[in-house]
Amino acid sequence: MATTTNRVVVDPVTRIEGHLRVEAMLTDGVVTDAISSGTMWRGIELILQGRDPREAWAFCQRICGVCTTVHAVASVRAVENALGIGVPPNADIIRNMMFLAQFLQDHVVHFYHLHALDWVDLVSALKANPSATVALQQAFSGAWPNSSTAYFADVQAKVKRFVESGQLGIFGNAYWGHPAYKLPPEGNLLAVAHYFEALQWQKEIVKIHALFGGKNPHPNYLVGGMASVLNPSGDERALNMTRLNSIGGLIQDAINLVEGMYLPDLQLLATFYPEWSRIGGGLGNFMAYGDLPQNGIGNPSGFRFPQGAILNRSLTAPLPLNFTNLGEITEQVDHSWYGYPPGSKTALHPSEGFTAPNYTDLSPPFEYLKENGKYSWVKAPRWNGNAMEVGPLARVLVGYASNRTEFRDVVNEALGRLGWGGNPGKLISTMGRTLARGLETRLCARWLKAEYEALMANVRRGVLATADNSKWDPATWKRTPALGFGFTEAPRGACAHWIRIGSDRKIANYQIVVPSTWNASPKDGMGNRGAYESALLKTRLADPLQPLEILRTIHSFDPCLACATHVVSNDGRTLAEVVVR
Amino acid sequence: MPEAPILVLGIGNTLLMDDGVGVLLVEEFRGLSTLPADEVEFLDGGTQGLALLGRLAGRRALVILDAVKLGAAPGSVHCLTLEQALASGSRSATAHEGNAGELLRMAMMLGELPDRVAVIGVEAASLETGLGLSEPVRRALPAALDAARAAITAARSPREPGRT
Repeated sequence: MATTTNRVVVDPVTRIEGHLRVEAMLTDGVVTDAISSGTMWRGIELILQGRDPREAWAFCQRICGVCTTVHAVASVRAVENALGIGVPPNADIIRNMMFLAQFLQDHVVHFYHLHALDWVDLVSALKANPSATVALQQAFSGAWPNSSTAYFADVQAKVKRFVESGQLGIFGNAYWGHPAYKLPPEGNLLAVAHYFEALQWQKEIVKIHALFGGKNPHPNYLVGGMASVLNPSGDERALNMTRLNSIGGLIQDAINLVEGMYLPDLQLLATFYPEWSRIGGGLGNFMAYGDLPQNGIGNPSGFRFPQGAILNRSLTAPLPLNFTNLGEITEQVDHSWYGYPPGSKTALHPSEGFTAPNYTDLSPPFEYLKENGKYSWVKAPRWNGNAMEVGPLARVLVGYASNRTEFRDVVNEALGRLGWGGNPGKLISTMGRTLARGLETRLCARWLKAEYEALMANVRRGVLATADNSKWDPATWKRTPALGFGFTEAPRGACAHWIRIGSDRKIANYQIVVPSTWNASPKDGMGNRGAYESALLKTRLADPLQPLEILRTIHSFDPCLACATHVVSNDGRTLAEVVVR
Repeated sequence: MPEAPILVLGIGNTLLMDDGVGVLLVEEFRGLSTLPADEVEFLDGGTQGLALLGRLAGRRALVILDAVKLGAAPGSVHCLTLEQALASGSRSATAHEGNAGELLRMAMMLGELPDRVAVIGVEAASLETGLGLSEPVRRALPAALDAARAAITAARSPREPGRT
């Protein structure tokens, strides 16, 4: 049989935040090379230069359409790091609770509303037998309350109305009926029912942000702590006992949903898609900055999410990160539409980086990107020269490799349930990445309860301080000019802000490396692929005209390129262009 | 349970110049408004999408203020019905990604969309990184505020016969 080669273009990748284009080169239906082209927020420094460092967070948190808290906390930490400002324990607890509420909402929404439809055939759900769906629900999660024939028949009727109206709306533009869908009709109906349940639930958990951040969206942060006022006997303007008590129920609901619905649904998927634990592993290099400090942000050994790097799938002791070594993290632009000045190094630390657009190699309209030229607005960040994957899988593997009991327990339990032979290496796959997101969500739900209990214990002991205002006045800043670094784990992975404060106590420079920069990275100067590109290799497409398999792997990373500045066009109606050569 | 106030929701990204016009409008409106707080609530929705879903249920009316790219002259003020807003692009009626269209569809699916929905869209000129508005959009603010006021007046008026 003659070898056939194709090139598949998916542009834009749908059900993500922001704009991403993927081109995959196929030989006999199998991906042999892939390039990822995205837009990324560049230019926050233009807005922040010359501003008061204490207000940077308020601008930063508007960068992203999803991670409203993420960039705010990274920003206040960068300023605190630069100026040597500590925060009281309650501030860390409240920041941790904001973080955990964000993770819970974001991961559940990602799974059910952005990713599940890669595995769940909505139209097939119409063929399901509702009482057999009850049996399936019972087999995977017997305790889940919404499990009656009438309930599933009702959901089915709802889906039927959507499909028959021809107004699929949010369910439009999918590959319904694709041969790679493997769930039985009852599995599809079950998952669609949970899609609706998750949608209802996610409205509740974000109330934690409003409670501690004063408002949501875009809650308030503060350099030196949090703006929340703890006053157990106060009125409703403060966080009084009534309001603090109201969170307990939200947390328990989250634990129930994650353990009774989300994790069993992941098990259902992994059971019906066993081959996806062998596809999509990608780089095998992982990095987590870590987060959820228990003894201050300066003590990574006390983080609930540990810090470290893994190279070449080595799940023994993770390698340490050293943020003070400016050679450790660099960005290259060989395949990115930026130029570094003549004579400069080709790999620069973000804090000394340049963001000068240099749009070459293409003149629209074009058919294909030039894989040997510049092809992305995303830079290529590297850790000690290595392309790294960040995100849930990285965090879970770093936790596992760090020998943390909690991580070992959830991983081993999942491996046991799935019959994966106790082999954590199977997590390095598309299904494993999706599973890891659920496993860390389980940890997050429990940790949210633990952080809440710690806060309540402090309140009962009369420990009420949430901020240290002793260095609020710029006149007290002794260190300027100063360089600061703030990091966090976003739901999508390691996120860092670098700030340079001038001797005028204003922002001189500000740079951000967001998690999707790591994952969506183009090739570097040595030709090393980024995480998405690498994960697509060796994937077999059942039908190149309907590249569902590409979406599965790309969505398993939860891409977020929301900070796009170059994508706006009048043809917002172009939903997905699939070109096969 | 008493009915929740009419929601005036500004969405958009204030870091991308005109994209943030909806947020700037809602803040300006909040400052000028003499309407009783139990009747009209103002919300800066920023760039958020689904996180706003919980704010829509149980209301009689929703007025969305947003930037749009519909091919008209920059600064044009569009008053879109729900149907028009949904029809103007499946991905989004708007330029940014915190997506009004998706939010409306999700609320519709849950049966939580208010009876009356109006989208006041201001045609954007510049979506480059930066604070503040382009000149044509800045000049359009009074007209956009008038349109928003008219939408609220309509929403506060007695319901049309036959609607529940």
